[in-house]
Amino acid sequence: MGALTVQSLERRFGNVVALAGASFTIEDGRVAAILGPSGCGKTTVLRVVAGLESPDAGDVLIDGQSVLGRAPHQRGTGLMFQELALFPHLDVQRNVDFGLRMAKWSREDRGRRVEELLTLVDLAAHGRRRMHELSGGERQRVALARTLAPQPAVLLLDEPLGALDEALKGELRSQLRTILTRVGTTALMVSHDLRDAVAIADDLVIMGEGRVLQSGALSDVLAYPSTPTVARMLGYVLLLDGVIEAGQLVDPAIGSVEVPDGADVRARSALAFMHQSSVEAVSPGSERGSGVTATVGATRPEGPALTLDLALKDGRPIAVRWGGGTPPTAGDSVELAIQPGTLRFFEAGAAAGDR
Amino acid sequence: MSFAHGARDGWRWAIPALLLLAPFLLWPLGSMLWRGVAPEGVTSGRAIAEVAGDRFYWGRLAFTIGQALASTLLALLIGIPSAYVFAMIRFPGRAIARAVVTAPFVMPAIVVALAFIELIGDVGLLGTLWVILLAHAFYNVSVVIRLVSGVWANLDPQTEEAARLLGAGRVATFTRVTLPALYPAIASASALVFIFTFTSFGVVLLLGAGGSFLGGPLDTLEVSIFRLATRLVELPAAAILSLVQLATTLAALTLYSWLQRRTTASFVLRADRARPLRETSRAERALLAGVAVMLGLLIVAPLAALVHGALTTGGDGGVTGANFARLFEDTGRVSYIDPLQAVRWSLSFALGATLVAAVVGTAAATAITRTKGGLGPLVDGLLMLPLAVPAVVLGFGYLTTFNRGWYDLRGSPWLLLAAHSLIAYPFVLRAVLASLQSIDPRLPEAARVLGASPWHVWRHVELPIATRALLAGSVFAFAVSLGEFGATLLLRRREFATMPIAIFEALGRAGEANLGRALAMAVVLLLVTTASFLAIERFRYREVSPF
Repeated sequence: MGALTVQSLERRFGNVVALAGASFTIEDGRVAAILGPSGCGKTTVLRVVAGLESPDAGDVLIDGQSVLGRAPHQRGTGLMFQELALFPHLDVQRNVDFGLRMAKWSREDRGRRVEELLTLVDLAAHGRRRMHELSGGERQRVALARTLAPQPAVLLLDEPLGALDEALKGELRSQLRTILTRVGTTALMVSHDLRDAVAIADDLVIMGEGRVLQSGALSDVLAYPSTPTVARMLGYVLLLDGVIEAGQLVDPAIGSVEVPDGADVRARSALAFMHQSSVEAVSPGSERGSGVTATVGATRPEGPALTLDLALKDGRPIAVRWGGGTPPTAGDSVELAIQPGTLRFFEAGAAAGDR
Repeated sequence: MSFAHGARDGWRWAIPALLLLAPFLLWPLGSMLWRGVAPEGVTSGRAIAEVAGDRFYWGRLAFTIGQALASTLLALLIGIPSAYVFAMIRFPGRAIARAVVTAPFVMPAIVVALAFIELIGDVGLLGTLWVILLAHAFYNVSVVIRLVSGVWANLDPQTEEAARLLGAGRVATFTRVTLPALYPAIASASALVFIFTFTSFGVVLLLGAGGSFLGGPLDTLEVSIFRLATRLVELPAAAILSLVQLATTLAALTLYSWLQRRTTASFVLRADRARPLRETSRAERALLAGVAVMLGLLIVAPLAALVHGALTTGGDGGVTGANFARLFEDTGRVSYIDPLQAVRWSLSFALGATLVAAVVGTAAATAITRTKGGLGPLVDGLLMLPLAVPAVVLGFGYLTTFNRGWYDLRGSPWLLLAAHSLIAYPFVLRAVLASLQSIDPRLPEAARVLGASPWHVWRHVELPIATRALLAGSVFAFAVSLGEFGATLLLRRREFATMPIAIFEALGRAGEANLGRALAMAVVLLLVTTASFLAIERFRYREVSPF
């Protein structure tokens, strides 16, 4: 077991800056997810922690000890590759056994451990199969078992659900969460899909352009993005871009909303972001309405509910759930009902061009 | 891929190869070169001026280049339509046909020469350029077919379909879409065939005997070097021709590996799906028949003639086993090479050379994959160097280097073993290297993260995956050593004569009994190499390289 600290990591490949001073800490036993667009340096962080790449600057600490001087096979980190990298010349058992042999476990211990892990990932009956005889989901679980087998102090998972189709992903997400909870190892996982992170992680590290934009407990980061960029990555949508006048954020093209006392906005120009989970469209004039109106472009049934494709007054498209009642039709006007306290305000100056 | 799994032990893996290369390649070549630049050396300015002023040598050079170009052209003319047949047409017996056209590649030169003598000896073609071209085509059509059909079969059919839909006719689609995609493969096949035929020795020595061209015999430079070296008085000329030979093969091999890289690069673009099965058109059936007849005449007929000759020579018109029985006779003459002894020596050299080649070749392949950065190409080039050294040049280098003091090894079978090992190991190297380089770089990384040291990565991941390639390369090395003729002929001693030497000696004697014995031994060699070849085919993954 071990806490993982990544300090000011820098790494460039030729002219490409992969890491530009990334720092974060994962407490012992917690599962963290790095989220970010492709090319933001996520995978490089994992490779540096595992020792497969050397950083140009910065440090990696496990339990407070720098591990940069150690070769990959002496680091005690386990890495599950995005492409799995299962050994094609070995069967399932021997893939899982590989790390144990390298660590010179006794034959009995190895046998016991392999069986234990194959049971854990629900593959006990498949020990003798070769990699090409397994389904995608089964391979994924072999890779996980192989990574867990030598009991790494820190577990690194690169897009652990990446190669699967949607239906399988959902099932494996909860399995992975269960398994990680059971083994209790500190884990760092990389994902480009917010749903993976939400389903599996305790902590969230948001990366962009080689830096950590925000990190913290999952629920905190989800509820309080620190910048407009992070907000967008977490599914927030820009609602208003205007100036603050008398406790109201006024976007002359769209409308205005009240700025709550708690909002930490001092500049006159500010942005307000909404999250679709907290907004509904209602009939104009409804008492739940916020005063911001929009025009219905199309209605899309989603299960029993209805989603509206709206155009704000300045023409920007936005999709919002219908709050109920007689559905509107294309061309109708609706008003947005926003749950109190769910809008996020940012100063506009700091994020010029961030619209 | 960066050298990510952090194994910086490449140089250690190069040690076995260096132990073989330093004394048995670099020293002989180096001393040859040194004598070239040393004042008053055998290749001093005066010697060079003498050779350069001799029209005889210019004639041999012209013949060498001319026959190599003509052979390459002929191999392409036969090889490209054949490549189409093998890449695109499904026909019964395809796998066997494929094996048959590829088999010549491992056939000993002496066997092939004898086969052609049996086939067309009576027609009066012996001692002409034509029989040499045919024998070269026999060998090299397989190179063209292997390289070109591999790429052809893997071309994305959708690019051709797209061209058709964009308005290109059949011909335009072929010349503007298909052919350009094949150029790199055709070019690298041409470079390879050129190298092989430029340095051709056994076939030219035996089939060209008696012919003439530009005021001299039908000799390639390689044959000229052999004749000069065995005469022993004209060593300077032999040394100068060896240097010309070396420079040419080095240049051609460099070109080849450059072209080969481009072929491999174009491969990455291929669609990962098989060509759909489709009806064979009437024109394709005609092509198939034409190619079958052509390859049958070129490849099957000479070998059949050889077997027929072995079974009928001295048989008074009927089939006889007498020639094979004669292999076991002891004539009691001192000058006579005991056939059984020759078989024994051939197998000993081949097994020894295969063992050395397996160890050295595998280690060298590992060294190449583990050396990155600026040193990489240098190590690569050094370890592949034996491929660029023609066998006769190597033998000549040995004769002029290991000839005095404690290292006078001219009468030692160990020197021949060294030559065979050196000639054979690049075949293991190439096979294993291709396999190692095809390993997903994440596999060694995964092993490293799971606690494997660089040595363990090799032992438990890379070696097991490359085992098949190692076996294929080793059998290849075995076949090459069995058939080795050029270096062996220069270093030959009656006490350790191999089968090709025994055949050569028997051919040089008058009488049907001797011819019959040569034919019978050639058939034995043919069977052994064919068996080796079948083993290679079994171990080989589908790949582009003819090695």
